[in-house]
Amino acid sequence: MTKRTFRVLDMHCSNCPMNIESIEDDLPGIFNISASYHKQQMVVEFDDSLVTDELILSAVKKKGYTAVPV
Amino acid sequence: MNPYMVAFITGLTTGGLSCLAVQGGLLASSIGRQLEQDVIAQSAKNGKVNISIASQRTRRAIPILLFLIAKVISYTLLGFLLGALGSVLSLNSTVRAFLLIAIGIFMIGNALRMLNVHPIFRYFVIEPPASLTRYIRRKSKNDMDFFTPAVLGALTVFIPCGVTQAMMAVALATGSAIEGAAIMFAFTLGTTPVFFAVSLLATELGSRMQKTFMSFVAVVVLIVGLFTINSGLTLMGNPYSFANLFQSEKAAPPSSTTPFVSAEGDLTLAAENNGYFPGTLYAAAGVPVLLNIVTDNTTSCARAFVIPALGVETILPRSGVVPIEIPAQDAGTVLRFTCSMGMYTGQIIFNQ
Repeated sequence: MTKRTFRVLDMHCSNCPMNIESIEDDLPGIFNISASYHKQQMVVEFDDSLVTDELILSAVKKKGYTAVPV
Repeated sequence: MNPYMVAFITGLTTGGLSCLAVQGGLLASSIGRQLEQDVIAQSAKNGKVNISIASQRTRRAIPILLFLIAKVISYTLLGFLLGALGSVLSLNSTVRAFLLIAIGIFMIGNALRMLNVHPIFRYFVIEPPASLTRYIRRKSKNDMDFFTPAVLGALTVFIPCGVTQAMMAVALATGSAIEGAAIMFAFTLGTTPVFFAVSLLATELGSRMQKTFMSFVAVVVLIVGLFTINSGLTLMGNPYSFANLFQSEKAAPPSSTTPFVSAEGDLTLAAENNGYFPGTLYAAAGVPVLLNIVTDNTTSCARAFVIPALGVETILPRSGVVPIEIPAQDAGTVLRFTCSMGMYTGQIIFNQ
């Protein structure tokens, strides 16, 4: 399992993390996402044989946000 | 304007948009599922997908309405509980004044957060715990029936937006379960038209709308915040609040036939739905004065009468006359009075 942190600087409200965390239901291979509006970042735990950074970035983009690997 | 009207207009102008951004996604995902199922059912029947935009809208309207009705009910209940909590804490006018100032700072902080002035302002909004948001999210993705949007609407009570959080504090400050419920009811009702219209026309517009209107919302919240701090200052009897500054300007020297002073030197003040009349009373210095406050079918917060400097706090009857004895004051004293929300104000000027 891989754990990676991304900065998401365009979360604009306290419930944006909920939107971003819903990716864990959409993308197989992601175990857990914990996003924080206060910290403007998300921590993703995933299976790197199924999911790549690019896949995560594009899933975040689909939700209307921009993630940048830290 | 009475506080319920203010709450309603706040909901209509800012609450609707900011809450939509926070909670709209939830609604969208539940309605989206409904539509998806309809399409599948339809195509299974007809062998082709054929749903007009008009019928899609009708299909959307029902769950949106259920969502909003449940939302109004749950927030009214929340207002009731907050008001009840406020009454248990037995807020006197000084505590309420500090609470109003704190709410004002909270609102301004939130406005600056929305304007993205500095990351520190993000801490002005409370982040709901992840376990709760996860539960609500899962709920919205479960199979769809008419019960689900109602449950989701009720659950939005746990994911309030910044403006709602500020309004919750106002409900707490009322110190009355009924008034707290009325404030939250008026506010949430105010949020429904925007919520309904935007959800109906484009369920997925939520986050984009938010970004476009955020600055507008932020400015309105900033103004409401300033007014709230001002109310707090008024309630403390601070002469530097806007209302008191304005009144001091207005206070012309009394003419020889000063109205509203009877022969015995008693004062008469009318507490009406939209304030106290006259706004400035004149009384003789050096002698005790009787202030008769007259209410005639008054229902606004003007009924909660406060003279901060004297520690006078009284609830006036709907209709009637309440005499208040004011001890002898020095010449030149300006005694300010206000309603318990710091919204309606006036003053008594003591002359030789």
